[in-house]
Amino acid sequence: MKALQIIKFGEIEDSLSINDVEKPIIESTDVLIEVKASSINPIDKSTVLGNLQSLLPISLPHTSAYDVSGIVVEKGNEVSHLEVGDLVYSRVPQEQMGTIAEFVAVTGSAVSKKPGNISFEEAAGIPLAGLTAMQSLEYAGIKENDKVLIHAGSGGVGSFAIQYAKAKGAYIYTTTSTTNVEWVKELGADRVIDYKTEDYKNLVKDVDIVFDTLGKNYTLEAFQVIKKGGKVVSVVGPIDEEISKMIGMTDYKLPEDLAKLIEGKEATYKFIFMHPNGEHLSAIKSLIEDEKIKPILDTVYPFSESIDAFTHLASGRAKGKIIIKIN
Amino acid sequence: MKELIEKIKVNQNLSQGAEEYLYTISKERKFNKGDTLIREGEKVKKTYFVKEGCLRSYCIDNNGKEHTLQFAIKNWWISDFIAIYNNELATLTIECITDCKVIEFNAEKLIDIHSKFSEFETFQRNNLERHVVSLHKRILNQLQLTAPERYEFFLKQYPDIEQHTRNYHIASYLGITQQSLSRIRVERAKK
Repeated sequence: MKALQIIKFGEIEDSLSINDVEKPIIESTDVLIEVKASSINPIDKSTVLGNLQSLLPISLPHTSAYDVSGIVVEKGNEVSHLEVGDLVYSRVPQEQMGTIAEFVAVTGSAVSKKPGNISFEEAAGIPLAGLTAMQSLEYAGIKENDKVLIHAGSGGVGSFAIQYAKAKGAYIYTTTSTTNVEWVKELGADRVIDYKTEDYKNLVKDVDIVFDTLGKNYTLEAFQVIKKGGKVVSVVGPIDEEISKMIGMTDYKLPEDLAKLIEGKEATYKFIFMHPNGEHLSAIKSLIEDEKIKPILDTVYPFSESIDAFTHLASGRAKGKIIIKIN
Repeated sequence: MKELIEKIKVNQNLSQGAEEYLYTISKERKFNKGDTLIREGEKVKKTYFVKEGCLRSYCIDNNGKEHTLQFAIKNWWISDFIAIYNNELATLTIECITDCKVIEFNAEKLIDIHSKFSEFETFQRNNLERHVVSLHKRILNQLQLTAPERYEFFLKQYPDIEQHTRNYHIASYLGITQQSLSRIRVERAKK
């Protein structure tokens, strides 16, 4: 079968290649998905550049990407919630990475039926960004009438998070650039802050939750706008001590400045390590079928042009998801 | 099954043997919301008569989107009749959109029932006639009614169904977008 493979770490054009590879063989807990579409995320670019080798090492050549939609064509005898013929979507686990391919084997617990009211291309754009947003906001215990600041509302995770928070009945502040203000408002944000003309720190006060998708100073600044006892969840800031133990780091301490800010606000800080989860995707399926959440696509590339899709991702100019249509 | 037999008997007599035969080719079954009874691409072996609940049949286009062909509520029949009559694999998927009680018939034996018991000819003809009328109405509605009119017709045809279905089930049945359905509902509420 054909697959887009990382053949070396480095510049995108030189490091990716469409190769002939063996069709995957499933374990008893897996399903084999005939891939209809895949989507790419910032992590896929970082993987090609080799920036994740210390954290998530892979051996080369390795098929790229994590997001997939398609049809179940085989299933292991321990998989009970899916059948051959089911239309599904998934963010595949690290060890099964490789969705830009004609087939991918995926553990059944990471797979859900796809929403019936959207296309394969639209569904492929949901899993990684959707799970990241959902798991972050659920960890923060989001509930009706909470005030939430979501940074980078036009990004893949941010645009999903706004819709998810809206579905939960929260009041949403978000930051974006001038050109994106209107469509981010349409997603459901109550107060869209144009960071080119306004300083969000003057406008946002006493929020219950900050969802940090930018890191660096933004992680620290979150404690200026959060209420006492509030929650900061981050997907890009410093890892927390629980995560450090999980990945085998000993004697890790939070950066001192961050620790002081947390203490000062009696706040909670949590780094969210998105984990594949078919049940969470099933909950997202219902939200999409009920039109609480809409997929947002930037461009759909044919498989043969998937390296161009990566170049587009690297440009950082995508508004919504970049999709690769496999067949 | 008794209720179904009584319904059949309204229009015709049934011999003891015919009644007994119906029992041998069917069984009463319960299904849960979300269960799939017939799956696209598989051989169709069953036809269902609905005792309680609501089911729908749908096809999936090349892009992976669902299009609802039919809803089935109490006293309706549902299966993939294209597959049964043409002896093809299923092009439709049939799922329960609520918990359901059905009578599940062996499709092949149900089709052929008149060759064993001629009294079923009337029953089968009546069923087919109703089915043809229903399909023609559905086609004509699609051709000549506006979307709001089609929605009104739908509500009359399937009373109380909205509480069980998702918007996209109805929108795809009517051949409109979910946004259009929402607009139609808002306009209707204003009247």
